[in-house]
Amino acid sequence: MVDTLLLFSDIVYGLLLGCIFSVMALGLNLIWGVIKIVNIAHGEFIMLGAYSAYFLNLFFNINPIISALLNTIFGLGLGLIFYFALIHKELRNKETITLQDEMVTLVATFGLSLFLSTLALLLFSGNSVGINWSIGSIYVGFLYIPLGALYVAITSLFIIYFVHIFLTKTYLGNAIRAYSQDIIATQLIGANPTKIAAIATSIGIALTMLSGSLLTVWIPVGINPYMGSLYAPISFVIVVMGGKGKMWGSLVGGLIMGVIIDTAQIFIPPTLAYAIAFLILIPILLISKEGILK
Amino acid sequence: MIKHSLNKKAIAARTIAIIVAVIIVIAVVSIVGYYLTRPPSPQVAGTIKIGFTISLTGTFSVEGTSSLNGIKAITKWINDNGGVIIQGKHYNITFVYYDDQSQSSNIVPLYTRLITQDGVEFLLAPYSSPLTSAAAPLADQYNIIMISHGGAADSIWKQGYKNVFGVLTPASGYLKPAIDWLSVNHPEDKLAFIYAGDSFSVTASKAALNYALQKHLTVVYNQTYPTSATDLTPLLQAAKSAGADAIIGGGHFNDGQLIIKQLDQIGWKPKFICLLVAVTEPAFYSSLGNLANLVCGSSQWESSVKYSPAVAQSLGIEYFGPSIQDFVNYYKMFSTNEPTYHSAEAAAAVLILVKAIEVANSLNTTAVRQALLSLHIMTFFGEYKVDSTGIQIAHSMLMIQWQNGSLKVVYPPSFAETNVIYPYGS
Amino acid sequence: MRLTVSFYFLIGILFYISITPFIFSFSQTTLILDLLIFAALAYSINFITGMTGYVSFGHVFFMAVGSYTLVYMSKVFNLYPLFTIPLVGLIGALFAFVIGYITLRFRGVYFALSTLVIALASYYIVLVIPALGANEGLIFNVRFEPLIWFYTIFSIVALEAIITYFINHSRTGYAIRAIKDDEDAAIALGINSMRIKLILFIISGTFGALAGGVFAWSTAHVYPTEIFDLQFSLQMLAMILIGGMGTVFGPFIGAAIVYLLTYYLITILPNGQLIIIGLAVILVALFVPMGIVGSLRNKIKQIKQVVE
Repeated sequence: MVDTLLLFSDIVYGLLLGCIFSVMALGLNLIWGVIKIVNIAHGEFIMLGAYSAYFLNLFFNINPIISALLNTIFGLGLGLIFYFALIHKELRNKETITLQDEMVTLVATFGLSLFLSTLALLLFSGNSVGINWSIGSIYVGFLYIPLGALYVAITSLFIIYFVHIFLTKTYLGNAIRAYSQDIIATQLIGANPTKIAAIATSIGIALTMLSGSLLTVWIPVGINPYMGSLYAPISFVIVVMGGKGKMWGSLVGGLIMGVIIDTAQIFIPPTLAYAIAFLILIPILLISKEGILK
Repeated sequence: MIKHSLNKKAIAARTIAIIVAVIIVIAVVSIVGYYLTRPPSPQVAGTIKIGFTISLTGTFSVEGTSSLNGIKAITKWINDNGGVIIQGKHYNITFVYYDDQSQSSNIVPLYTRLITQDGVEFLLAPYSSPLTSAAAPLADQYNIIMISHGGAADSIWKQGYKNVFGVLTPASGYLKPAIDWLSVNHPEDKLAFIYAGDSFSVTASKAALNYALQKHLTVVYNQTYPTSATDLTPLLQAAKSAGADAIIGGGHFNDGQLIIKQLDQIGWKPKFICLLVAVTEPAFYSSLGNLANLVCGSSQWESSVKYSPAVAQSLGIEYFGPSIQDFVNYYKMFSTNEPTYHSAEAAAAVLILVKAIEVANSLNTTAVRQALLSLHIMTFFGEYKVDSTGIQIAHSMLMIQWQNGSLKVVYPPSFAETNVIYPYGS
Repeated sequence: MRLTVSFYFLIGILFYISITPFIFSFSQTTLILDLLIFAALAYSINFITGMTGYVSFGHVFFMAVGSYTLVYMSKVFNLYPLFTIPLVGLIGALFAFVIGYITLRFRGVYFALSTLVIALASYYIVLVIPALGANEGLIFNVRFEPLIWFYTIFSIVALEAIITYFINHSRTGYAIRAIKDDEDAAIALGINSMRIKLILFIISGTFGALAGGVFAWSTAHVYPTEIFDLQFSLQMLAMILIGGMGTVFGPFIGAAIVYLLTYYLITILPNGQLIIIGLAVILVALFVPMGIVGSLRNKIKQIKQVVE
């Protein structure tokens, strides 16, 4: 029947890839869960992270993992700009988001998404590029694992862990979690809601951009201005699957998506595998609007 | 609401004012629009205007830029060498082009603009089969000759268009040299066909697959992927598990590179690799380095191929246009790179068009069409002869291979510089 | 139902457009033809996003459905494309019914994401269906009939505009505006919001498909990468946002502006139109969400209040 070796290696690759998906989704989750805004331009920030890793590698020979750390800084800055340019006007002095506000931010971030991808097309040209980071691979039994992919997966897991510690053990992290539950309560514990929202957003964008850097290991010729349209829907599905606002849900969701996408390609063509991965969103929404992992 | 008669008059007056204002706005917009979109005045006498779109940005930017430089080079050569002679009068070639951004949605509007507003007299098709298919209907709709230089899919010539002519070997012939070579030298090799899903790649690969089966070769894997795919490792793994010795297919530049990189990523060295399009670009070798060595590809033309007036004479046909060396020299005036086959095929399109105009001794579409149908000549690009549908039937496809940093023509033996080195990775 | 001044306006403008092929030159008529296709798409998304506020990112899906249906029916059954138009509309309606029935029960963001995901997934699915041409798409031989294309799309736009007018000025129009302002309150008032949303969505899907059909007919091909491109969704949203969401004239004004932008930028700065439209969408969404017609209407209301 099915070659078990093939299946096994696809599952392993899927898990490795899934770790990065988890970080990708984490960024989205943070913003969505805290300030309740869905960033449709999420894919474009991943794309920016990937391109910055590419250029850092091209000009300064920096490998993707270090680039990821640098991207965190870029991301924090960009995230602040993103927040104050687009979001602040909508959120200021409001306690809840109405449908109208939601729609405005949806449309605005959709516009931003196509603006950024076209801008990237103009600046970087439509050629797909990639990073040549071949540091060899190891054989685990009969399995051939590129070291780059392994390191990136480990880095992802560390990042998720750090974010968890940050949110649960630090003052700022707790303030953010308070904000996500009740904006007024945040003021009661002495924190400025605007500051909290801005910081949460910039951390979210930082995570998104660094996931773009880590992703480059898996796409040796896949960095192009439109790559966002492939990874953004995956992130949306993961966040809904794992539960909006639930960080560990993103980890599990990411791993599941990675495995599904890779193993499905044994049985069905790659395009159908992606289509199914995207469409999973609908049954999940039908079953429960808050996600299926409790 | 209680309305006094005074207010009724005010409302009526205001309504009429608004209606009049809007009518004036519409009239102004119409007049301005009319004048802004009128076709420009007729062109300079003594020139022939050729129009086309080419992909300078987007997925086909590498191939498109090569093609454009080829067109620029040949146009300069033609104008420097007497131009086009019609009924004793001398004409220069000029051209108008737009960047189609590699998007088919831009083709119809841009070609319509070229025809109705820029007043071009002849057309070149865009680069790539899908864009050429989108442009082809306009040739018959507006009764203008269109030469295809970058669209090889056989389906283009199955639609019944009268005014579309191809200078390049159609898609179905691209991978046949590889199959021919394998069937003679390594018929025991098991073949995996992995190729992009666009019409060109599918036609080329499927034709090769059927040809391979006809020649009694073993095929163990056959799978397409979307042109925008970024991860082909699952397919490559599956081909490896199926026991494949050779990989045939690919698509365009990006996926060709991807296949080689990911073969390395999964640690598999097949014995023979032959891919479409990507292999002939210098950038293929410069970005892949050692991994590109001994990869084979298909080429419509290489500068080391043997086409010349002497060869033409031995075949009993006329030779027209610059020698290969002349073309390369002119090309270097527009680019620091060597010309690729995309440059040559685009240049050949202009050359064949010019020859046909001279044979027809007129710019009239019907006359030029007749000339194109009856021509059988050789240029620096190779032979030209079409069948009644306009598809190219005389041009030969070449197989090339990267050997120690340079691209060598390895098949067919009559035009080849050297032999194939086998297996890949040795 | 009262026929206000704006109705006669509408009829006047439609009449004017209908005679443009005899006023303007041939090449300009082809431009107006393209503009009308844009307008048809704008009106179609206006029915759902403009009127109810439910953002449909995947609206390009219906355009694709229409294109594929028209080309497939014409090519495979050898029909004259005009005769396939009713079927195109029907299939658009069917898809809209099924998709709307499932997704309109999700609120705001989730509806938007669902439509986005459906459009993207459909692209990938079509890529593996050989009957629809898979990755290659479908090309077919089309007689050159620009006048017929013109009047077909014109009829579609006219129909859309008139239907938009009647919906806005009917009792249902009140219900729809109530849903847009606050859906929970509307439901509490006894408005069957699901039924209204579904009907509007079906109308929007039908016309989206019809517009897509004429588009494919006039270009003689349908390619998956072209017809599922999200830039169409962005352009459609931009058109109603700039023009004025939910209004009768808004989609047309928005279409004209976006179309003119595209026309001029396409030869000067490749892809420039998308950057500018993207930027415009961001700015308009944040600062002038009512668009041109909406803002004008507010100004007129203000003037009225001052005078009376």
